[in-house]
Amino acid sequence: MVMRNRVAWLPWALPAIVLVTVFFVAPFLLNVRFAFSSWTSFRAEITWNGLENVRTLIDQDLLANAVTVTVLYAILCMAIQNTVSLSLALALQRTSRINTVFRSAFFLPTLISPLAAGYIWRGLLAPDGAVNSFLGIEWAWLGEPSTALVVVAFIDAWKWSGLITLVYIAGLNSIPKSLLESATVDGAGSWTRFRRVVFPMLAPALTFNVAVTLVGALSAYDVIAATTGGGPGDHTRALNVVMRQQWGQGFFGSASALGFTVTLLVIATAVPLVWWLRRREVTG
Amino acid sequence: MRAPSRLLGAAIGAALALSLSGCGSSAPEGTGQVKLTLWHNSADPAPLLEMYRKFEKQSGHKIELVSIPSDGFEETTQTKWATGDRPDILEYHATVSGLLALNPAENLRDLTGEAYIARSGDLYEAAGSVNGRVYAAITGFPQVFGLYYNKKVFTAAGLTPPSNFTELAAACPKLKAAGVTPVFESGGSIWPVQILPILYLAGANQSNAYGKAIASHSSTLADAGSPFVAGLTAYAKLKADGCFNKDIVTAKFEDSMKALVTGKAAMVAQHSDMLPALLAAAGGDQKTVDESVGFVGLSSAKPLATYAPGPIGTFYLPKTGDAAREKASLDFVRFMTGPAYAEYITASKTFPVFKDVPDPQGVSSVLQDVKKAYDTGAVISFNSDIPGMGGLAQLMSELIAGQKDPQKAATQLQGQVEQAAKAAGLPGW
Repeated sequence: MVMRNRVAWLPWALPAIVLVTVFFVAPFLLNVRFAFSSWTSFRAEITWNGLENVRTLIDQDLLANAVTVTVLYAILCMAIQNTVSLSLALALQRTSRINTVFRSAFFLPTLISPLAAGYIWRGLLAPDGAVNSFLGIEWAWLGEPSTALVVVAFIDAWKWSGLITLVYIAGLNSIPKSLLESATVDGAGSWTRFRRVVFPMLAPALTFNVAVTLVGALSAYDVIAATTGGGPGDHTRALNVVMRQQWGQGFFGSASALGFTVTLLVIATAVPLVWWLRRREVTG
Repeated sequence: MRAPSRLLGAAIGAALALSLSGCGSSAPEGTGQVKLTLWHNSADPAPLLEMYRKFEKQSGHKIELVSIPSDGFEETTQTKWATGDRPDILEYHATVSGLLALNPAENLRDLTGEAYIARSGDLYEAAGSVNGRVYAAITGFPQVFGLYYNKKVFTAAGLTPPSNFTELAAACPKLKAAGVTPVFESGGSIWPVQILPILYLAGANQSNAYGKAIASHSSTLADAGSPFVAGLTAYAKLKADGCFNKDIVTAKFEDSMKALVTGKAAMVAQHSDMLPALLAAAGGDQKTVDESVGFVGLSSAKPLATYAPGPIGTFYLPKTGDAAREKASLDFVRFMTGPAYAEYITASKTFPVFKDVPDPQGVSSVLQDVKKAYDTGAVISFNSDIPGMGGLAQLMSELIAGQKDPQKAATQLQGQVEQAAKAAGLPGW
């Protein structure tokens, strides 16, 4: 009986296991091999070359900057998206006709292709674009080193905040009303209720949202490619942007090394983060 | 319940069989006609597309066009190529550096000995060939790089178009005083910002001397006082002197064409294959283009244009292992370079690459300027034979952003050249 229970989950999990193996694990393992190979478009032979690709990327000043840009971008995206989405969720938590309209409106960008979103915003933020016309200023939002990365992170937030908001709304609605009423009876004001009751009870939603936004932004490519192409200079040149450039030049081994770096970065960030947030859910 | 399931299964099976048969290349059995896949540049002009249709009509073969966007053309082609996917016909760059990245000996069919090569003069000595083997069929006139200028703006400012970088630098303040952007650069499209430094180097690259020295490793881009560093330095000075548009980082090349035609900008460094884009910026009005735009070559010190065999109308035949399709694709090359070529030249109003085909009538004045610049000693682009130069445009972005000085940019690019040259197994590396 015990044995049957132990394997009863297998048929249900099998499709997911197969999909993850075929589309994630296998490509990842194959990529690891290529990251340490001399694979280029210039010749057919692919040989093991150890850390040569990494050395080349370091020598050409590409790796350190790309890692820095990627991490900064991920932190910005995660912070902006969660702040904006939590605020929106608190504002739109109650189900009413008007809130439903707003929820739909904020969710719409999620349905747009990231490339399309990038192109739309590139037009709006052009020096002679609608944003500058409205503000009556002349500023190259995507062309100034000081603003480019932050602006692209905001565009990413605009794109995904609707989805993150829905998760927070679901989290808010799962908080028992009795808890909030008890807190009110005990004299807690709205800020205290949020800090002492709502925010701790939102821990599962927070875990999901922080992990998803951070990991998603570490793998950023499309919005950056459509808005700045990695510029100005290399100020928004994230790892995947450099990977695409290396690939386009026929340096497939170096491109694979960059892909492997993204994977390592995601694992190194996501695993401890999720572990810590899950622990906080239990102890907090 | 069982019958509908069977019906559904049969329908799915039939659909699958149909779709799988569609994946193959063969057309109706026994007709000898096949379907050829052609990866082509989205900027192919209408007369060239018409040639594809004429080939279909004449041969009975079917051509499936796979359009590769001209923006990011090289990267996208390389990405598709790297997956192992191979078209029957590939439209791509004829430069040796572009060709090396396709690993021609392994992947491309050798066209040495085809009749069109002997009719092309010495074209294949500088393009479309590696180690004495010809892989390309070049039908497009080389891209001629130089300065498009607005005639009305120059006349109003009492200036003549510059023929060297000293004159270019001298014209900047006068044009700025006249309220126009002296040179419109489009860093938002990334690749155009490498054109001015390439133009600068024409003087040092006569007979492709500089390019050969870099490719053979007898010189490096980063040598002290190298022509390349001098070119980047000249570019940085033009930027510091305010010769470029304010939105240099975000502007796209379409913006540059529009600014030139409307007279908001005095000059744009571009190549001759951008003429259709120029025409589009003028709302399709050739008269407006001819009245307002001219073209000159310039280099560091001499009035030299730069040329490079371009991707438009340059065809390769990848090895596919399918005898019927390989025969048909060779027929395609023979068609494109055969008697129908003269019709293409007449229709496209471009200049022929074959000596036995006459120049077309009614060529636009700006294209006549291009031809004049080409005929008066144009020099092949210095980077044509050097693999690994694809990073130049990215480094120019960093130079424009002030993140790299010319020497540092040259050192970094030399590293990329070394990476590619070693991978390609070039002698001297």
